[in-house]
Amino acid sequence: MEFDLENPLPTSDDLHYDSFTSLFTVESDHMPSKNYTQNLKPTDLYISIRHETLSLILQISHNFDPFLAYLAISYLDRFLPTKSVTKEKPWILKLISVCCVSLALKMRKTEFSLTGIQQDGGFNFDSETIRRMESLILGALKWRMRSITPFSFISFFISLFKFKEPPLRQALKARAIEIIFKAQNEIKLLEFKPSILAASALLSASHELFPMQFLCFRKAISNCPHVNKDNLLSCYNVMQETAMDGYQSALGMVSSSSTPVNVLDLQSSSSSSSEKINPTETNATGSIRLERDLKRRKIDGLRGHNTFQLSQILQC
Amino acid sequence: MEKYQKLEKVGEGTYGKVYKAKDKATGLLVALKKTRLEMDEEGVPPTALREVSLLQMLSSSIYVVQLLCVEHVDKNGKPLLYLVFEYLDTDLKKFIDSHRKGPNPRPLPPSLIQSYLYQLCKGVAHCHSHGVLHRDLKPQNLLVDKEKGILKIADLGLGRAFTVPLKSYTHEIVTLWYRAPEVLLGSTHYSTAVDMWSVGCIFAEMVRRQALFPGDSEFQQLLHIFRLLGTPTEKQWPGVDSLRDWHVYPQWEPQNLARAVPSLCPDGVDLLSKMLKYDPADRISAKAALDHSYFDSLDKSQF
Repeated sequence: MEFDLENPLPTSDDLHYDSFTSLFTVESDHMPSKNYTQNLKPTDLYISIRHETLSLILQISHNFDPFLAYLAISYLDRFLPTKSVTKEKPWILKLISVCCVSLALKMRKTEFSLTGIQQDGGFNFDSETIRRMESLILGALKWRMRSITPFSFISFFISLFKFKEPPLRQALKARAIEIIFKAQNEIKLLEFKPSILAASALLSASHELFPMQFLCFRKAISNCPHVNKDNLLSCYNVMQETAMDGYQSALGMVSSSSTPVNVLDLQSSSSSSSEKINPTETNATGSIRLERDLKRRKIDGLRGHNTFQLSQILQC
Repeated sequence: MEKYQKLEKVGEGTYGKVYKAKDKATGLLVALKKTRLEMDEEGVPPTALREVSLLQMLSSSIYVVQLLCVEHVDKNGKPLLYLVFEYLDTDLKKFIDSHRKGPNPRPLPPSLIQSYLYQLCKGVAHCHSHGVLHRDLKPQNLLVDKEKGILKIADLGLGRAFTVPLKSYTHEIVTLWYRAPEVLLGSTHYSTAVDMWSVGCIFAEMVRRQALFPGDSEFQQLLHIFRLLGTPTEKQWPGVDSLRDWHVYPQWEPQNLARAVPSLCPDGVDLLSKMLKYDPADRISAKAALDHSYFDSLDKSQF
């Protein structure tokens, strides 16, 4: 019964095609409401509230795997547009972040204590207050907590690529997952369906890792009846911009925005801004960063071999 | 819960009271299921959270009773969960009963049996493709809209959140009539096939207008099954001897299944026999059943 983001249905076997069809049918129920994504441009206040709550979530969930934080933030992104949250009561943002994390932990059947997760943020809400906020979030999300996320579609799209060598498939999947984590930070990507985000992330990853096969992959994905090509293209473009930001910061250039570009960067910045710095934690984050830098360089090396221009590829 | 006007108590489900109610704003009839939530120190209980969200996901099929919303209320400090479902006027048990007794007893029209069974297999296939077993399929759990000829599966998924009870909320013994032999024999690793056994029993009951295997204890239930289908052998069902509750039973020879459902066409008997296979691995799946020739004469475009 544990809820796995890559496999949101409680089957132990691999999902078959029918199950994916139903995921495509219901994925829109797991996004911020259409009113929000289509009619409203997020205000500066909204962006700053989201940013602040997102950082709080990352801060209190740093002991768990990154999928946990991803799930909690996806709840946040569906919840925030339904309520008018202001900055006048800063404790509300803290309460929301604790509850998004506790709901995500419960869905993933992780052992935890409310006291434990609150300690990391230096909060102390009683269980009654937490229960009320949890109920409020559950109501707003219509109890649809078994979220369909981009991770749910990765194996479906990868199966379209017909890889012969498992290590290549693993590499592509690993890079796409990194891109999806990073994409969650980009508010412009909230309007896209989870499946479109997954498809774009895989395309971005294949463009980096296997540029020669990129066109072939793109064709396979575009031919899939569940994929809207226009949406795919605009999502891919936004994602490319985000990914390019990633390269710049990874290669030690000055990042064009002050916003942390991915989950791991955010984690390190939020821990350094807090007063108590745990030395082991900083080391851990540092080593992850180093690993990522190395990966990036490898990727960059790969990219050096060919001179594809993004615009050329997208025209064909 | 002020949004709803309770009209009458329509039943005591396995897990709590069920009310027929009206949405005051829209006039829409709904079924309200009340469940007490055991709160712990950690806020909303995780099991309820996981089960209700699963139910929410399954309710995307039109062959499953739709969960319209979930209301979480505090009554005198006791947290209650109301599950608000779409309302259908009757269930398959009442529908079959009305054809057996009352002023105008008559068989169910064969085309209706065919259509109901198809919708039932659709719903079961939906649940199974989502990795969910129903485990308690029975005519009382199949809601019917007589006017539109629609059948939908109800009482899904709550099995695990609130633990499968031996006795229901009202201390009425949970019916064994639709229970698969592997469950009766104490198998712990059962699968989607348990639901297909129930579907077979329900199919036969629509034809006969009475239950196929009306046992009143687990032992009697097995004897009912063995008398019709023959006592299972190790050859027919490898591993049956080593199931936890297997004993030495009287040796019965299989009877002719068609005689138990005299008005059913040969294609129907064939499908029924595939649903009532002893070895769960041999039993037909819901998805395969949808392609069986019994449904060839059905206009599938309406589904």
